[in-house]
Amino acid sequence: MTAHDHPHDPHATHAEHAHSHTGQYFAVFLALCVLSAMSFLTYTDFWRERFPVEAGRTFMMAVSCTKAMLVILFFMHVKYEANWKYVLTIPPAIMAVFLMLALVPDIGFRNRKYSPERKARMAAEASTDSVAAEHGAEAEHSAAEPAAH
Amino acid sequence: MSTAEHPHHVRLVYQPALPLSNGKLFMWLFLSTEIMFFAALIGAYIVIRFGAPTWPTPHDVHLVEVIGFFNTLVLVMSSVTVVYCLEAAKTNKTGVAKAFMGATLLLGSIFLGIKVYEYSSKFSHGIYPQPKHSRIYEKADLYYASAVRARLQEISGALTVKPVWTEEDVQALAALDAKSDRTDEENTQRTELQTKRDTAITEDEQKRLAFVKDLELKTNTTDPVEINKLAMEIAPLASAMHGTEHAEAAHGGLNDEMPWLKLPIVIPGGNMWASTYFLLTGFHAIHVLVGLIFFAIMMGWNLNAASAIAIENIGLYWHFVDLVWIFLFPLLYLF
Repeated sequence: MTAHDHPHDPHATHAEHAHSHTGQYFAVFLALCVLSAMSFLTYTDFWRERFPVEAGRTFMMAVSCTKAMLVILFFMHVKYEANWKYVLTIPPAIMAVFLMLALVPDIGFRNRKYSPERKARMAAEASTDSVAAEHGAEAEHSAAEPAAH
Repeated sequence: MSTAEHPHHVRLVYQPALPLSNGKLFMWLFLSTEIMFFAALIGAYIVIRFGAPTWPTPHDVHLVEVIGFFNTLVLVMSSVTVVYCLEAAKTNKTGVAKAFMGATLLLGSIFLGIKVYEYSSKFSHGIYPQPKHSRIYEKADLYYASAVRARLQEISGALTVKPVWTEEDVQALAALDAKSDRTDEENTQRTELQTKRDTAITEDEQKRLAFVKDLELKTNTTDPVEINKLAMEIAPLASAMHGTEHAEAAHGGLNDEMPWLKLPIVIPGGNMWASTYFLLTGFHAIHVLVGLIFFAIMMGWNLNAASAIAIENIGLYWHFVDLVWIFLFPLLYLF
């Protein structure tokens, strides 16, 4: 490389994509609306009567991740950016996952073992029959693991 | 020709390390920190929620899913308008760019306005992030019953000290008013009677006092079934009335029918829910507000191609705010 070479233009990315993206943005907007409606579908009776709660939650998170990727790739232009995007996004994403996992032992599992005194003050699922709720709580306490919510 | 015969000076030219402007690099580094920030908050919410012994359903805490869905659409539309603003600015269509930026500002303001409405709905039901404003109790136990009794005694105490305006007082005041040459003592008596009339307990307040005293009797019990019935009478829980699977909203209850009561309520898991909900949505709302401030400032700019980089950078921030809400909405409203 000699001195006559032109320096790399920081705005070359913009020059390369000077043509309008408005049609693409509108298509992404429509996709986001459809995906939002799909996540709302899990709230309807149609879904609740046919699929378990866990399937609904998995579906909702999959839809959210898809919407996020559409926003990141097209609205934030990451699809057209150079390799620096991996340097700036992958480490925080890994650290975010580790951060969540780090909370699981102390916070997520805080109710796995508890004293009778703590149980007496602990919240229980609401019921019009408090006695039944107390019996249900005692059964949970004697079980291996508390029920997932 | 060799370089020894015709030496030329090597001119060093600056080569940027990354193919993007300093402002954009800074914005992406800042967004990386924001990813960590919201990952911490959302991760804490997920871990707390799924490790909790019980968690209120959205209708237990007066969350309306349709409002959250509408807010999602508002933010998505605002993301579209900001990219359209950027496209217009790049092609020097300053008027169009300003219109789209104004639309973004308007949509963001609508989002914040709806958030304020949602927060006021929570506050009106006694759901606050923490005591002493929060009236949430985890269980319908003796502590809850004594808290209800304390609140009822507070109301009855405030009403009991009010003077009673009798027929005799009416006649005495009328007689004093009719007298033209009153002595000083009579003037003082007249002033006292007028003050008594203005601060006397009203008929409506007398009815309230009778109701409160009647309700207070119900708190004198140690039976958990009776206390739970009282709790459901004060603020019925949707999940208790209709089951835990996406129950319809529970309406009524003494707190709704008589807002002046402001009695403690029972929402199992409600305190932790309120703490995480207000933390997540509060920080998100602050980020939205910061974005709106920047948009308001840029409305005074000439949004041409020279401003495109700044518009792109603030757009990146706004898209990130939208991204966070894309995850917050299902986690808080639909799970």
